[in-house]
Amino acid sequence: MKYITLLLSVLLVSAAALAHGNFEHVMGTVSKIAGNSITVTTVNRESKTVTVDAATKFIKSGAAAGLGGLKVGDRVVIHAKPSGTTLQAVEVRFGETPKAPSPQH
Amino acid sequence: MKSWKSGIGFTGLILVLLIALGAAILRRGFSARTPPSAFESLLARGMRRLAVPSADRHRANPFTATPELLAEARHHFADHCAGCHGNDGRGNTTLGESLFPKAPDMRKPETQNLTDGELYYIIHNGVRFTGMPAWGADGPDDDSWKLALFIRHLSQLTQQELAEMERDNPKSESEQAEEQEEDDFLNGKPAHPHSDQH
Repeated sequence: MKYITLLLSVLLVSAAALAHGNFEHVMGTVSKIAGNSITVTTVNRESKTVTVDAATKFIKSGAAAGLGGLKVGDRVVIHAKPSGTTLQAVEVRFGETPKAPSPQH
Repeated sequence: MKSWKSGIGFTGLILVLLIALGAAILRRGFSARTPPSAFESLLARGMRRLAVPSADRHRANPFTATPELLAEARHHFADHCAGCHGNDGRGNTTLGESLFPKAPDMRKPETQNLTDGELYYIIHNGVRFTGMPAWGADGPDDDSWKLALFIRHLSQLTQQELAEMERDNPKSESEQAEEQEEDDFLNGKPAHPHSDQH
């Protein structure tokens, strides 16, 4: 039975497949916040709307934050995953970024 | 006579299963995009268990989880493991989600219920037919034991620890330039039009 399991495993479990990095980076100014969506006027002067959910990570000035901390007019950088015709936000960064400490080796 | 007949019956059943499997593969293809079926997941977990010799399964971790040791393992994890597993071990990275099987959420019981010996063996020797490579060199491998302790700590990671890990994550030159551009934009500098896809 052990050999049958091994044989079937060889047939069924395929090798790893690498993927392209396909996050969309939305960089611009918040023009609208409605429910679970954020609309951004990008630096390319396009309007893009992303949706957020419980898994979306909000970072304000390097610290954990929430959607409530974001307001219209804020500069924002959103890393979003295309999902069908919508963009699902994975990470939303806003506020001035703190300087990273010098690397120590 | 009876055992001879049952032997033919069993072989026939296996043949039918293999033919059905072959037909399913020809019809659906062999894409890594589709999530593994329950049967495949069961087989993969079974294979992972079979891959660890019983003597290794019960090996005790020679280290204890001090803050200093966890900090060392955290830096190591951020540098070597987070590309697939994510800093928090959830596996929700572009690479981790594109593997077949996908990188597991290591905070869940399927990983946390493994012994330290099993975690060590998997890190040191890798897992065949998955994206998990063998990280260990010949000889003593303290790093893999320390990583096993860090995996126990994943569900208690603080925001401060996660922020430190983000700084430790390896980045290409273009990723560093992109991150700098984003930081400059957030700090009020004028932005230049660019491509959004990365």
